[in-house]
Amino acid sequence: MATKKRENKMKYNHLKHITSAFITLAIVLFAHSAWAKGKKIRVVTSTPDLAAITMAIGGEHVEVTSLARHTEDPHYVDPRPSHIVKLNKADLLVVNGLELEVGWLPGLVVQARNKNIQAGAQGYLDASSVVKLLQVPTQAIDRSQGDIHPGGNPHFTYDPRRALNIAAAVEKKLAALDPDHKKDYAKNNESFSSDLGTVIKTYEDKFAKLSSEQKQVVTYHASTIYISDWLGLKEVMQVEPKPGIAPNPKHIATVLTAMRKQNVHLIFQESFYPKKASQKLAQLAKGDLVVIPGGTNVSDGQTYIKRIKTMADAIYKAASK
Amino acid sequence: MMLQPHILIKHKAVLWTLVLFALLYSTQAQAQQPSEPAPDDEVITRQLEEADDNATPPKQLDTQDNPAQESEVTAEDSAPVQEEEELSDEELKALEAALAEDLEAQEDTPSLATTASTQGFSQSTMGRTLQSMNPDISLILDVAAAGFSNTPLQGGAHDPNQNGFNLQQLEMHIESNVDPFFELQANIVFSQFGVEVEEAYARTLALPANLQLKAGQFLTQMGRLNPTHPHSWSFLDQPLVNGKFLGGEGSRGLGMEVSYLTPLPWFVELTASSTMATGACCARSFYGGQDLGVNSPTDLLYTTRMEHFFALSDSFSLLWGTSAQFGPNPTGLGNRTEIYATDLYLRWRPLNNPSRTSVSLQVEAMHRRRQTAGDILVDNGGYGQLVWDINFRHALGVRYDFVEGIAGGLDTIDPEWTENRQRATAQWTFYPSHFSRLRLQAGYDNPGWYERPILIAMLGAEVLIGAHGAHGY
Repeated sequence: MATKKRENKMKYNHLKHITSAFITLAIVLFAHSAWAKGKKIRVVTSTPDLAAITMAIGGEHVEVTSLARHTEDPHYVDPRPSHIVKLNKADLLVVNGLELEVGWLPGLVVQARNKNIQAGAQGYLDASSVVKLLQVPTQAIDRSQGDIHPGGNPHFTYDPRRALNIAAAVEKKLAALDPDHKKDYAKNNESFSSDLGTVIKTYEDKFAKLSSEQKQVVTYHASTIYISDWLGLKEVMQVEPKPGIAPNPKHIATVLTAMRKQNVHLIFQESFYPKKASQKLAQLAKGDLVVIPGGTNVSDGQTYIKRIKTMADAIYKAASK
Repeated sequence: MMLQPHILIKHKAVLWTLVLFALLYSTQAQAQQPSEPAPDDEVITRQLEEADDNATPPKQLDTQDNPAQESEVTAEDSAPVQEEEELSDEELKALEAALAEDLEAQEDTPSLATTASTQGFSQSTMGRTLQSMNPDISLILDVAAAGFSNTPLQGGAHDPNQNGFNLQQLEMHIESNVDPFFELQANIVFSQFGVEVEEAYARTLALPANLQLKAGQFLTQMGRLNPTHPHSWSFLDQPLVNGKFLGGEGSRGLGMEVSYLTPLPWFVELTASSTMATGACCARSFYGGQDLGVNSPTDLLYTTRMEHFFALSDSFSLLWGTSAQFGPNPTGLGNRTEIYATDLYLRWRPLNNPSRTSVSLQVEAMHRRRQTAGDILVDNGGYGQLVWDINFRHALGVRYDFVEGIAGGLDTIDPEWTENRQRATAQWTFYPSHFSRLRLQAGYDNPGWYERPILIAMLGAEVLIGAHGAHGY
């Protein structure tokens, strides 16, 4: 008898444990779903410009991280394992594409073990697929011509007109991933596009008034073609003899002669390229070197529009001298 | 075979035509490529004009825009750019105005931009479409000239190991996604004496629960350097401890690997693999050259690794790994070998430095225990290296190697290695571009059982062609 009672008591105890376990589970699940409802869409972008554009469209519903910093050359980002952790938890990955990130991103994406952000998946957006590209090689290329991107020049986020296309694609993606806030994304894109449109127009008008001589420019790397395309500037030469090949004295002499002959007074380049050669050139050609940031300073809260304005202002100031 | 030259010689007309073609071609080639600037002013001007053309090649824009014409917005944009060269200023201005109007239209109707984006694929060029189905294929050639003051004792299979010229390796790397579930990576290495499958494995892309599986022939996660290939090493040769404990080709084999990315807020990855324990090249401390077969799971080689990564600041980062290997050795039934290893990689790279300066310190230490008939052999080894990437053209590195020996010739694998061995190496790298490097290396190798140390000098060249995948951290 005594044993049986004990057994019964044990059974009862088991039951109690199971019930409490279920209740705990239910609470956890409920809490989880509630938390999931208020959960933000986690977006990882390869470059800070893409992050800034995504922030403008996603607003409060997204949490955006850029793997590259605005001071970093997007060709050569350290593939830190901490990036894997970010990619692992991402709902959406926005890449620049055209092999800009080929040296560091693909391995990270594989290691991230996140099927949602693999190339071609729902949570993957290649910005280069939605913009009109420049400098797509049409002849056979090889690397004796320098570090050429076979798909075309990948630095298109410098052009706000192309940013409009990217913003539209981001809006579509976010709406697909988070249909609850579809309207908000559309609204954000509308206001972003109209603000950016005003900026585009303003600077186009401003630059249109410059003389064709003032609009000539020498750039460091062949990465600025989209800025020139937007503002109607004419890129006379590059400080680099070929993309990715460091400048040599002979080539710099050629550049200087060209600048003097054609009256070029403007050099611009990104902050992550060496500045000395360009500074010297600017000094000798009695011109100005404009150092433009390689990306939006998102970590300090800069917006894409602000970044474009700052960049265009700096170029205008030097060009209109 | 001999027919063709005969025909050429017999028919002088053919020969002359060929000569003419060659001449024409050479003049064309000259016109296309501005060579060295000559002092002659006219020549400079001409070259500048050519260079000018190169800077903004209108032709390139041309064809790029053609496939884009299906999309309304871009097709309209492209019109003025296409004919830029032949147009007068006035016409240009008119076209510019048209372009501006186009853009205004684009601003006013964001829906148009959306249309463009949905038709993104129509804008991709022929080149991209063609390339997308081919795997990334690259070929890496490592050759070196070397001189040793004494009989060389290089342990790595790809080390320069003879006086004179050395083919370190010709490595063909092929990789691609197979489907949404797998990727394939293959590393085929050609030497003067044959071809070997260094690595060939499939890796999963879409397993749940942060898991990843690898199956095939692969380098095990035994330490930091082991799973990497010579072309991502800073030095021309392998550290001594890797050669002695793991094998000339590093620790690798046929097998399976599972790895798990923990959900911790910092990077922690756990890896475990099981591989065949044979191969003098690549499972040296285990079955090595003797293939005793697999009769139970204990006859396989097991490797585990835990890796932590800490982003100490924007510029400083630290990777810490611990690895261990367990497997059978051929000295007797049930005899086992264990290797324990730990490695540190401390890297400083200021993110805003334009010259891409970085300094990295890498240290690995290994502890090996081997059961033999009636004895347990224990030895230790390790290396530390400091590499300063001064900028994207130059790098300097120093390395110190230390490996213990076992006295009395008890060590059946390296009976002559009876005392400690130390080696100091200094190295300078010059990168003409991102795809080639020249390395000059000097070494002072001091095996305790040698009467005199070995002085080493090496000059190595490495070139890479093709599309090569991204390297890890």
